[in-house]
Amino acid sequence: MTSIPVLAEFTLPEHWRSDRRGPVRWVFSYLRRQWLLAVLMTIGAIGNAALAAAVPVLIGRAFEAITAAPPQVNLLSGLAFMIAGTQIVRGILRFGRNSGAELIAQRIERDVRSELYTSLLGKSMTFHSLQAVGDTMARATNDVREVNYMFSPGLNLVLGSFYFMLMPLILAPTYHPALMLVPGLFMLFYFLALWQYLKELDPITTEVRRAFGQLNTRLAEALDGIETVKGMAQEDNEVVRFGNNARRFRDAFIKQGDVEARFLPLLLLGLAEATSFLHAMLLYRQGLIGLGDVVGYFGLIQLFGFPTFTSLFAYSQVSLGIAGARRILELINRENNLDQNASGYTGPALGAVEFRKVSFAYNDGEPALENISFSIQPGQTVAIVGQTGSGKTSLVKLINRTYDAAPGQVLVDGCDVRGWNLETLRRSVSIIEQDVFLFSRSIAENIAFGKPGASQAEIEAAAKAAQAHEFITSFKDGYQTVIGDRGVTLSGGQRQRLALARAFLTDPRILILDDSTSSIDSATEDKIQRAIYAAARGRTTFLITHRLSQIRWADLIIVLRQGKIAAIGSHADLMQTSEAYRRIFSE
Amino acid sequence: MGFFSGLANEGYDRQYSDQQLARRIGSYLRPYTTTLLGIGGLLLATAITGAVTPIIVSRGVDMLGLQAEEMSIIVLFLIILGIGVINWGINWLRRRLTVRTLGNIELTLRTDAFKAAAEHDLSFYDEFSSGRIVSRITSDTKDFGNLVVLVTDLLSQIVQAIILGIVLFTIEWRLTLLLFSFLPVVFLTAFSFRRLARTVTRQGMRAMANVNAAIKETVSGIAVAKNFRQEASVYQEFAEANQQSYRVNVRRGIILALVFPTLNALEGIGTALMVYTGGSGAANAVVTAGAFYLFLQSMGRFFSPMLNLSAFWAQVQNGLSAAERVFALIDAEAAVTQNDNQPVPVLEGDIRFENVNFHYKREEAVLENFSLHIRPGENIALVGHTGAGKSSVAKLIARFYEFQDGRILVDGHDLRTLDLSAYRRQLGIVSQVPFLFSGTVLENIAYSQPEGVDRQAITALAHQIGDGEWLHTLPQGLDTEVGERGARLSMGQRQLVSLMRVLVQRPAIFILDEATASIDPFTEWQIQQALNLILKCSTSILIAHRLSTVKAADRIIVLEKGQIIEQGNHNGLLTQGGHYASLYNSFFRHQSLAYIDEARQMAQAEPAN
Repeated sequence: MTSIPVLAEFTLPEHWRSDRRGPVRWVFSYLRRQWLLAVLMTIGAIGNAALAAAVPVLIGRAFEAITAAPPQVNLLSGLAFMIAGTQIVRGILRFGRNSGAELIAQRIERDVRSELYTSLLGKSMTFHSLQAVGDTMARATNDVREVNYMFSPGLNLVLGSFYFMLMPLILAPTYHPALMLVPGLFMLFYFLALWQYLKELDPITTEVRRAFGQLNTRLAEALDGIETVKGMAQEDNEVVRFGNNARRFRDAFIKQGDVEARFLPLLLLGLAEATSFLHAMLLYRQGLIGLGDVVGYFGLIQLFGFPTFTSLFAYSQVSLGIAGARRILELINRENNLDQNASGYTGPALGAVEFRKVSFAYNDGEPALENISFSIQPGQTVAIVGQTGSGKTSLVKLINRTYDAAPGQVLVDGCDVRGWNLETLRRSVSIIEQDVFLFSRSIAENIAFGKPGASQAEIEAAAKAAQAHEFITSFKDGYQTVIGDRGVTLSGGQRQRLALARAFLTDPRILILDDSTSSIDSATEDKIQRAIYAAARGRTTFLITHRLSQIRWADLIIVLRQGKIAAIGSHADLMQTSEAYRRIFSE
Repeated sequence: MGFFSGLANEGYDRQYSDQQLARRIGSYLRPYTTTLLGIGGLLLATAITGAVTPIIVSRGVDMLGLQAEEMSIIVLFLIILGIGVINWGINWLRRRLTVRTLGNIELTLRTDAFKAAAEHDLSFYDEFSSGRIVSRITSDTKDFGNLVVLVTDLLSQIVQAIILGIVLFTIEWRLTLLLFSFLPVVFLTAFSFRRLARTVTRQGMRAMANVNAAIKETVSGIAVAKNFRQEASVYQEFAEANQQSYRVNVRRGIILALVFPTLNALEGIGTALMVYTGGSGAANAVVTAGAFYLFLQSMGRFFSPMLNLSAFWAQVQNGLSAAERVFALIDAEAAVTQNDNQPVPVLEGDIRFENVNFHYKREEAVLENFSLHIRPGENIALVGHTGAGKSSVAKLIARFYEFQDGRILVDGHDLRTLDLSAYRRQLGIVSQVPFLFSGTVLENIAYSQPEGVDRQAITALAHQIGDGEWLHTLPQGLDTEVGERGARLSMGQRQLVSLMRVLVQRPAIFILDEATASIDPFTEWQIQQALNLILKCSTSILIAHRLSTVKAADRIIVLEKGQIIEQGNHNGLLTQGGHYASLYNSFFRHQSLAYIDEARQMAQAEPAN
């Protein structure tokens, strides 16, 4: 097993590594780890099938006994005991198979999720900044669950039904070698038919799912926007649109039903029963087999019923699991383009920042920033202004190397950020994003997140500076109040102030604040003004802001427009030079 | 698993009597009476062939004792073969018919439910979450459809069991009684397992919800954790949640893994008993060998309906209450009722409230004896604290809610007498969170004109706003996809699109519930321009949050507890130093240029407290 060394920002001290060369190999490298359970499951599956086959065989013997002349009734009780005994043992084996599969499935789910999560923690900030959280969530929950279902019930039933199919083939020749014919042919045609069925069904189920998704999405949208619908008197048109979507779903649904109705293995089962009856009767007539053999053989053929009905579901479960595994693995294997630069410059940082002819483009090629140059002294405040999509966020993310400029240079304290030790650089630069993420922990723990072990006095001081102390103490549990689903809900402004408090504790030299809150009332606005002022004091601060007051008082204002600097300078400069700027300051 | 989803009761739910429910369900099934009868016939045929196969085979077994003719073997073979093929054919036809009937019934029910939902007033949507309504329209209708399949399938199995039972009874009643004596044991075992499974599943789902929340949080928190280099701490939290999820699932899985093996062992014991007693009977020539064989073959056919029956009532109950929920949605009564349907002429926009009383809930009056006259073309701004009645005034004009007393006149027509749809076509409404539908920007702008719009005209209109710069910032201009609910556009862009929508519509009356979200100053300026264009040509009712909007109004109306306590223009009211002046101080002061100029000194000063 070769493994590509992957650089990661976070690893666990683990000796075992999965095989990441392909989804099937990957999943099976996990299965190999659970080999003991896999053996248990296989033994259970074989035993289950063999003992299921014991019933018709024993019943055949019973027939032999009662039709003998004279009837050997004394054998019956023994046979009955054997049937009951084998079936109880079979129940135990089947339970072993099921619970073995279940344990394998659950362990693999746990381990796969853990590998995915560890790998996510090891990925660069670039990766996380580009990867949508919703998508990652879907892979960590649904796709991981699909991998689980792939083993239980998926592979469990595939394996179980396979041995069921094998039994008639193995046991029929004990009656007469020629009796292999029907089971053999059945198996052959069964797999062909199943393969064809699954291939035909696959695009149709996709279509059904798509049509249902569309129906559901539009419906939810129409009801959420009901005020708009009614306000514009568009109810009738929405009903028509809904009807079209519902009809498209119905058509796909019927198409799927038609394919399912044609399920050929069911016909094959009927054919197998009839031909096996004929075959056995003819052999019996020729005196080649006995009466009990006919009964036993016919019972064996009926074992095909179980695989016929279960496997169509089991096989698609397995293919869904592989698809899930592919999506997870794709995320794990995605390129990490990380350069820790451990030997780089390790500070301490002062906070001077310079952009020299910086351009930058995302992978899709459209330039997000073009030819940006400016320079600021430690402790200054820069306001970045522009419309959505003008490149504000991209610009600040070049400072902590979430992205790298190309071409051009970003310098901190006169040293190219690529020359800095990444760890030191990131420690010196703190970013507060637009949607502030807080953990479902207590407020105190959230504030101290970047500095575990901070004292209560430190936490309170940070909260006071961020103008958060007042609202925190208004909660019954104060700093111990839990935030999130099971706790209190905070407003956007409150979350932002907690994030500021969190930043105060780590005391970065450079603070980047993406501020998009708005105040409904003037008193709150006063608080935010004080909090931002306190945050900016004594450190280099980049403000992405809509607040005219912050723009007004910044040392440097950068107006961005479609990735380029449209205007740059102090408030006084821009009032002179920029028409657009003057406009926003006119009443 | 739909155990809990959509199961919660809503205020509009009602208890239908069994008769009502049956009549209601019947009305949806009636158009398909012939098909349903056909399906019933096919089911009966399946049941008969299903019962006949073991009988034929047992005849064959009896023949084995004698020296059978080759001909009769072939005849039996052909019969079994024929039954196999016919069975498949019947099954094929039945499923085709079923899926069509089902698809159509669900379609009708869904369309009815949506049509009803679209008719309901906004008060209905205030009260009931739209997510739940969605689930009634999609999944409850599906559950109802499943009910039909469930009932027919089970019926067929029971018919099959009954036919077989009668045949068996006529052949050998003692063995039949023995066979029947197994049934309650199987039924009870299956039933108690089902209850156990339900309990562990329910517990498991509750535990899983917690675990999922923890996983969700740790995944979303990765970026923050990296920002502060706290990977190890969130990993710990994740690992605990992951391990807990494992424990919960294993417990549930192992219990569920017990079900079939147990039933298996039971069936084995039953078979053993039958082999012994039946075999003895056959040996003593009480029954023929063929009949004995028939009994062994039939056991399974009695057991599987029992297993299904144990789940039947719960599932039927599920299906019926799903039907009930859908019907309740369809039958919910409208609060807004028009007493006439008069055509609406081109409106000028004269609006008059005459002694209007209005409340959402009986105990809390919102507007009391409220009178107001808005002249054609006038722009009024409504200001006041939350709950003062600002948006109620606007929503009553839009006739989204029913008021209790008084009259509202538009151009002298009583609002209750107008054709609502025609009236609303002359209203332009922009809500606080502008709502866009997935599709292009152009489609959204043209939302009120489904018959299509002139692209040129819209482009020209767009260029009247800030020289059309906002269009240039959209990646594909008018053809940019806005995404679900407009998510791919910024708040500001969404507002511009919804204002454009109104501009295209050229309504007589314009209602704006101004957004409070923060928007970059350049876009804000463009929004202001778009707004000015609309204000010029409509009677406008503005629920204002921006200082500039209040200033632009011809008249400011200050509301408090559903009463007008002051009115006038901005400068006049401000110098009066009354209610408006104090409102200004708490809600608009920070938007003024003076504040912006003094913000730095204020922030530097130590806070008063």
